Amino acid sequence: MVARQAPHSDRQNGVDGDRGPRGAGGIADDDLYVRLKAFEGQAAVAVGVGKDPVNEPMIRHWCEAMGDTGPAYQGPDAVAPPTMLQAWTMGGLSGHPGRSTAHEALFALLDEAGCTSVVATDCEQEYLRPLRPGDRITFDSVIESVSPRKTTKLGAGYFVTTRTDVWADGEPAGTHRFRILKYAPAARREPRSQGGRGSGDRPRGPHPRPVINRDNAGFWDGVARHELLIQRCTDCATLRFPWLPGCNSCGGEGWDTVAAAGSGTVFSYVVMHHPPFPAFDPPYVVGLVELEEGVRVVAGLAGLRPEEVRIGMPVRLDFRTVDEDLVLPVFSGLPGPVGPGDELPPLTVPVTRTLIVAGAVASRDYQDVHHDAEAARAKGSPDIFMNILTTNGLVGRYITDFFGPRAVLRKVAIRLGAPNYPGDAMELRGTVLARDGDTTDVRVVGANSLGHHVTGTVTVTVTGTTPEPTP
Amino acid sequence: MTLHRADTLGGRAAIAGIGATEFSKDSGRSELKLAVEAVRAALDDAGLGPGDVDGMVTFTMDTSPEITVAQAAGIGELSFFSRVHYGGGAACATVQQAALAVAAGIAEVVVCYRAFNERSGRRFGAGVQRREPSAEGAALGWNLPAGLLTPASWVAMAAQRYLYAYGLTPEAFGQVAVVGRRHAARNPAAYFHGRPITLADHAASRWIVEPLRLLDCCQETDGGQALVVTSLERARDLRRPPAVIRAAAQGAGRAQEQMTSYYRDGLTGLPESAVVARQLWRTSGLRPADIDVGILYDHFTPFVLMQLEEFGFCAPGEAADFVAADRLPLNTHGGQLGEAYLHGMNGIAEAVRQLRGTSVNQVPGAAGVLVTAGTGVPTSGLVLGADG
Repeated sequence: MVARQAPHSDRQNGVDGDRGPRGAGGIADDDLYVRLKAFEGQAAVAVGVGKDPVNEPMIRHWCEAMGDTGPAYQGPDAVAPPTMLQAWTMGGLSGHPGRSTAHEALFALLDEAGCTSVVATDCEQEYLRPLRPGDRITFDSVIESVSPRKTTKLGAGYFVTTRTDVWADGEPAGTHRFRILKYAPAARREPRSQGGRGSGDRPRGPHPRPVINRDNAGFWDGVARHELLIQRCTDCATLRFPWLPGCNSCGGEGWDTVAAAGSGTVFSYVVMHHPPFPAFDPPYVVGLVELEEGVRVVAGLAGLRPEEVRIGMPVRLDFRTVDEDLVLPVFSGLPGPVGPGDELPPLTVPVTRTLIVAGAVASRDYQDVHHDAEAARAKGSPDIFMNILTTNGLVGRYITDFFGPRAVLRKVAIRLGAPNYPGDAMELRGTVLARDGDTTDVRVVGANSLGHHVTGTVTVTVTGTTPEPTP
Repeated sequence: MTLHRADTLGGRAAIAGIGATEFSKDSGRSELKLAVEAVRAALDDAGLGPGDVDGMVTFTMDTSPEITVAQAAGIGELSFFSRVHYGGGAACATVQQAALAVAAGIAEVVVCYRAFNERSGRRFGAGVQRREPSAEGAALGWNLPAGLLTPASWVAMAAQRYLYAYGLTPEAFGQVAVVGRRHAARNPAAYFHGRPITLADHAASRWIVEPLRLLDCCQETDGGQALVVTSLERARDLRRPPAVIRAAAQGAGRAQEQMTSYYRDGLTGLPESAVVARQLWRTSGLRPADIDVGILYDHFTPFVLMQLEEFGFCAPGEAADFVAADRLPLNTHGGQLGEAYLHGMNGIAEAVRQLRGTSVNQVPGAAGVLVTAGTGVPTSGLVLGADG
């Protein structure tokens, strides 16, 4: 079940939208630009070789950083998350020996012109074949275009677009178009304001916490591990919820737990309208879900609009990370056939310093602005910020989380706007653009407190069959 | 045990006095002051003075302790003081406690009271967003992170299942509100005096928590209400005709929770009310057909329907039709929807007025009245009768 809503309007923040080779009209060329443009078509990397073959440890580190639990990326037949494509080509801490003189000369020219800072703005990837542990990676990269001088919120500079073809054991594995802005930092911005996601989105207040004591702490420990634990009497085997230190059926004091399998039906529900609470946007649905094990739990019904909820409808257990300290069990509708306009349940990702650094390291991106706050500030940024490869990985995870274990990413094309700074949270939302058989195009928007961090489109194929219809 | 046979409390005590403050949205004075005023008014009504009182009972939720109310009302030594838990579920149980004390000779004149600034002070409808990690806090705490935060929402969960089980729409709840407001319209003490509503008004009122609309929810009120309980013998010598306590009962169901008993049965009834009903019918010797007036706790309309079914006035799922047919005079003061939300205590006073023949919506010859207390929580009830 997915909600149907009008797609969110696109907003650009941080980096102005009119840019790149297709939007460059009306800006006077300067001398530097003429010299920069001469690099178009030259090789950025000639016959680059991935420093490591595709390997399980890097896959695991990536999945841990992204919170991606997709089964395709685990076990003996694991493949690499497709969004890792660029990671296999990265130079890592010691830099890349394969950079061409043309690429170095281009960057030197920009540095001399005062464009000393770099920020990645766009990443378009197409995946041609899965990458498996042992695959040896080679790649070629060409400087596809250099934009005229552009003035952005970050500062004035030039967009440089490179295109990379990646091979695995000599077979085409994917293509990768990457756009960076090489710019002269503008004057230091004011400290970012708190809240205010733009019109229509009010900042949310503190979320009501679970009331945890010695009798129920085990339940919330389980939830933190993404398990919903049901107590079971060790005398009479009766399952019970809520958690209590004794059995209402027989009075037995001993108990163990059973993890809920995750299937349930809506036993009852309410739609909350009034009064408003800071942590919730009314109207919202709260369900009383009867689990297949026979016990009931109260939980939010994620991604379900009030008019979609019915008593008796099947729902599936999921877990929602509310903030750094709070995970909640929620239930979502079973994915039905999706069509244009359908909205995917949102995913909120707390942007922690750890996530930023772990994502950068997992993608072998040692640009200092992603791990060194002092260096970031020296370059005009208020703090470190998330690198584009991490954003790319999170977008991929968001899509495959929804489309399930048979989903395979075909293309991910993203554009970055407002940076993801530590302490913020990004809410990813997806809207189906088109569907053709097994293949679906989804527009993805990730918003943080400053505005839209990422906008893009993802093409995903669900192999074998179309998603099961809702019973 | 008394769940299975008649108890011996019936007929031994009576309500001899009732007294209340005005019911308002902003009393302008302290909860203690409201309590003292109500107690003094009830004693005046009974023809008694502070010096006659030796027992006091209130709710655990009340902020004015028995000793403090006594101190400020001129009451002296107390041989009995007690409080009953579980919100409005305590209402009729305060009278039961008083009757028990009187019947056992522990006290002679017991005042039951409840007073609060529930509208201008702490509004229950504002909801709960945190609780202490006590067993009681943890029990409600299961609901809070999901956003189930208000009394209306806790009731709405059961109400939704009720509608589903019996194939009804939310309009089924409307007749309870219409009846309450019709009675309140004729009651000068009611907040909604002169303001009746129609089913269309109910259906047009805004959602609070679906399937509950604004007009399914009781008011929030500032005020105080007190009752004087003494032995039937003594009551006969006082100023007013006694309202005899034919039966008094408390009830909690298996796997009972406070407002969120979601984990037991079909969620279409109120098992705790059934526990009360069994005892009241058995001890009073009355049946639903013997009841002239029903004062059924109406913080939210759906639970009035479920109470009618649990007490046996009609079959499960038929209460909306039962109310629409006006087969039982209900909440003749206007109820908590129409008169005031005094945690059920004002309903007990109305039952006394019906037996005295002084209600503004008097049912001629009323001799048997059923009164209930807060529903969805451990609850209580009374059957009051005319003397003789």
